[in-house]
Amino acid sequence: MEIRGMNQRQERVRVLVSFWLASLWLVSGLGLLGALALDPIVLQDEAQRIAVIEKLTPSVVAVFDRIGRGGGSGVLIDEQGYALTNFHVVQPTGPTPRCGLADGQLYDAVVVGLDPVGDVAVIKLIPPKPEFRFPYAPLGDSDTVRAGDWSVAAGNPFLLATDFRPTITFGLVSGIHRYQYPAGTYLEYTDCIQIDTSINPGNSGGPLFNVRGEVIGINGRGSFEKRGRVNSGVGYAISINQIKNFLGHLRGGLLVDHATMGAAARTGEDGRAYVFDILERSDAYRRGLRIGDMIVSVNDRPIGNANQFKNVLGIFPKGWRIPIVYERVDKDESRVVRKEILVRLMGLIPREIPEERKPEKPEEPKPGEKPVPGKPIPLKPQRLIKPEGEGAKYYVPRPGFGNYYFNELERKRVLQALPQANLPTDVPWLLQGEVDVYDETTGKPVRHPFTLRLNGKTVRMRLGSLDYETEPLRVGEAIANLRQPPGSGGLLVAMHYWRVLLVEQEKGFEQGLFYGGYEPFYPDGTSKSRTMTEVLNGTSGPFSVKIFTQPSQKRLCGLECYPEEDADPCELIFSPEPGPRPAIPAKVEVRFGDRHWGTLHIQKCEPDTTQGKP
Amino acid sequence: MPVQEMVLARWHRLYGYCGAAGVHLPRARSLGSVLAAWCCGAALLLAQPLPHPHTGSFTQLVREVQPKVVKIYGAGGYVGITDYCSGVLISADGLILTVYSPTLDTENLRVHLYDGTRHDCELVAAEPLLDVALLRIRDGEKKFRDLPLHHFDLDRPTPKVQVGDWVLAFSNCFQIATREEPLSVQRSVIAAITPLAARRGVHELPYQGTVYILDGITNNPGSHGGAVVSRRGELIGLIGKEVRNTLTETWVNYAIPIEALKEFVAKARSGNYKPLERKKPIVEDRGGFTGIVLVPTILDRTPPYIDEVLPGSPAEKAGLRPDDLIVMVRLPARDGSGTYEEHVVQSVAHWRELTLPVEPGSKLQVIVRRQQQLLRMDVEVERRPGFRPAKPEP
Repeated sequence: MEIRGMNQRQERVRVLVSFWLASLWLVSGLGLLGALALDPIVLQDEAQRIAVIEKLTPSVVAVFDRIGRGGGSGVLIDEQGYALTNFHVVQPTGPTPRCGLADGQLYDAVVVGLDPVGDVAVIKLIPPKPEFRFPYAPLGDSDTVRAGDWSVAAGNPFLLATDFRPTITFGLVSGIHRYQYPAGTYLEYTDCIQIDTSINPGNSGGPLFNVRGEVIGINGRGSFEKRGRVNSGVGYAISINQIKNFLGHLRGGLLVDHATMGAAARTGEDGRAYVFDILERSDAYRRGLRIGDMIVSVNDRPIGNANQFKNVLGIFPKGWRIPIVYERVDKDESRVVRKEILVRLMGLIPREIPEERKPEKPEEPKPGEKPVPGKPIPLKPQRLIKPEGEGAKYYVPRPGFGNYYFNELERKRVLQALPQANLPTDVPWLLQGEVDVYDETTGKPVRHPFTLRLNGKTVRMRLGSLDYETEPLRVGEAIANLRQPPGSGGLLVAMHYWRVLLVEQEKGFEQGLFYGGYEPFYPDGTSKSRTMTEVLNGTSGPFSVKIFTQPSQKRLCGLECYPEEDADPCELIFSPEPGPRPAIPAKVEVRFGDRHWGTLHIQKCEPDTTQGKP
Repeated sequence: MPVQEMVLARWHRLYGYCGAAGVHLPRARSLGSVLAAWCCGAALLLAQPLPHPHTGSFTQLVREVQPKVVKIYGAGGYVGITDYCSGVLISADGLILTVYSPTLDTENLRVHLYDGTRHDCELVAAEPLLDVALLRIRDGEKKFRDLPLHHFDLDRPTPKVQVGDWVLAFSNCFQIATREEPLSVQRSVIAAITPLAARRGVHELPYQGTVYILDGITNNPGSHGGAVVSRRGELIGLIGKEVRNTLTETWVNYAIPIEALKEFVAKARSGNYKPLERKKPIVEDRGGFTGIVLVPTILDRTPPYIDEVLPGSPAEKAGLRPDDLIVMVRLPARDGSGTYEEHVVQSVAHWRELTLPVEPGSKLQVIVRRQQQLLRMDVEVERRPGFRPAKPEP
């Protein structure tokens, strides 16, 4: 009985246990089913991600040297084959790298523009047929990127892909507006994007995308220390908005330089940036910036401490004019004056270095502080690698340029878009009209009639009852004469070069007229009127001339003429309304320094039949 | 663990894995999930929503956590030892939890808060065995009375984490950020939960307990003391040091669970923390005693210089002096044949290896270099002072 009872109890326990097990199986089985039926959002997300990666893959470039032993990555940015990569990638490859695309084909390429400080290069892939169109990736807005955003890096780490299909890595944006010290003067990463997305040697020059497949940066370096030169979870991408500022320069075949303001700032007790040193020959000094002033913003970006000031300045090319807002405590300290100035930025590379000397390979950076840019297989720095292949047809070396061929190309495009004067080269011009000259003290305009005679050699102007004459290229012409009429900063010379540009184009600038990329232009002298232009830089005799154009609208916007170094130019701003001829505007504003000198109203422009006699 | 919870946990991991573009709560889609959701409905209702992939990544979470993490500057700056590290704020008046390191070994400790303000701070308590330290911003009660600091609340229960959970790591790795610049944020998945000390061959890790092994590269120079948070922004661990597994030569990325540090924090805050008792170092009870103290081993092959000669020891009787370099030793052969063998002594470690088996009563002949001459000394090995024979093993 007892034994039976035991058996019964055991039986009952066994039944209970098996029932419990069965229910466990059932529930967990159902649970698994539930787990496998994924939320549609998850699937949709995954599908989106795959679609984005498929879309961006064809635009990713594997960059190699001629013999395929070293290289990096890149990304195509338009259908003609222009692509972005790192300066430190194309430096060892020489002027004609070879590029593999995801279609498995190897294309010849040629270096176009170089930015050694920013570690960026533009190369152009040579289309196999004239009608060939390359796949490319759209450029995003890196100012909208935030820490915590997802990012996708694509490239050819360790030169793995033999079929050139890129390696895709996925990760988080770890920080924005990061600053990484340069290795010497070059490879300074300002305002860059920090990522934990895995980038390794060979990823250099490759694109960093946002989740929509837009390029937000170019991967270029990482922080390495004890772990060797492989991904340490800390990589940096040059922000695409910085590259956009230089893109015109780079496509124009230039060897570009970054900007400095000629003023140094340090962080004060309150954590703000204060000017503690300023070069008197800098434009910032001429615009009124002084030691002790607090920098409030640079190009509309608020500045906290001195680091931020340095970080922001690094994203601009030399020569750009940008708004700076500063604050100064008034002498009686009763009030704080806040002022906005438009400052022309100076170059970062010291002038003493002759421009034709191409930057040497920077030294191997030290570990930690100065991370090593990814370079897959160390190549011995080769000087003067000869251009080879199809790309060699598009390569014209010239001091100060990455590739002069492309500068000529862009200059031609801009000049062709400018309106033609339709007057023969040797015919003198006679301009007539009225001019409003602003009184220096009252600021009120006084109207005078004017006559201007330009014959390509001398300039004569009758302004009201006064006569001015100057011969810009005469040896020994006094600087005061080159700045005529008084207060205009050199209107006569500026008008001379305007005519030179319209009738002779590049031939009129005996030391050259070069394409200079994109620059902001301020028609009314305030930051609100800012518009982007493409510039030409001309040199003739002692004069530097900067010409602002909008080729897409067939417009000549303005002209700046510098009669001397480290001094303000005479600025001409041409109104969009046509005047007596298509190339001659109805109105020309004249500015010098902080002053609006006057406005020319041109009523007549015709061949000068009096043969230059007033 | 109830079955439903297990199932839910599994979903969680699955969803976390599949939804790599972001993370979110699982939604009931089948009978099983309806059942489970019904069972855990209350728990789910109370739960805070997780970042959703379509509302745009972790940016909001990052913004919320950043004010609670700090940069710490202290001693160091030498090869391999950074003079900066990271920490987390755990009170409104400026208590900071960080990982114990040589960086804290200075009077001049400073922290940079998220707003760029700099503050002097002091060490409240440290526990090298837990690898943790508590700092306090000087005059924090006064400074932050009107504007309390953002901080992690350690009184709240810490969520349970599992292998496969997503986490974010905040640290001042490589000192990328200074002043008010936000710390670096990285994402990781908990790859394992394991006692790290039990894993053989890990360098310099005093912490003995369980750690979270992370799949991201979170442990970089200056990362130690940084925050590891859950997807809801709850503090779950402190980023550990840079350690390497000597067997595989791989670097280990780990975090110390915050749960393991709560007792320390509670005691340290109330001011009555006493450092843990250390296990006494095992006294070598084999071999004899010569009274030679060599220089500390700092290299793979540290030259066997004599650092100290203990007074009254056989070494002193033999005439050995500090700064003598041991060149050769003649000692009884190990095979017990009664013969002698000679060895060139290559390093401190080699000396230990050679002399450890030498029994008391035997004689050593030591050849040392003193300035420009080689000297031969006879050392009679004695019994170690205070020696008691070890108990026989059962």
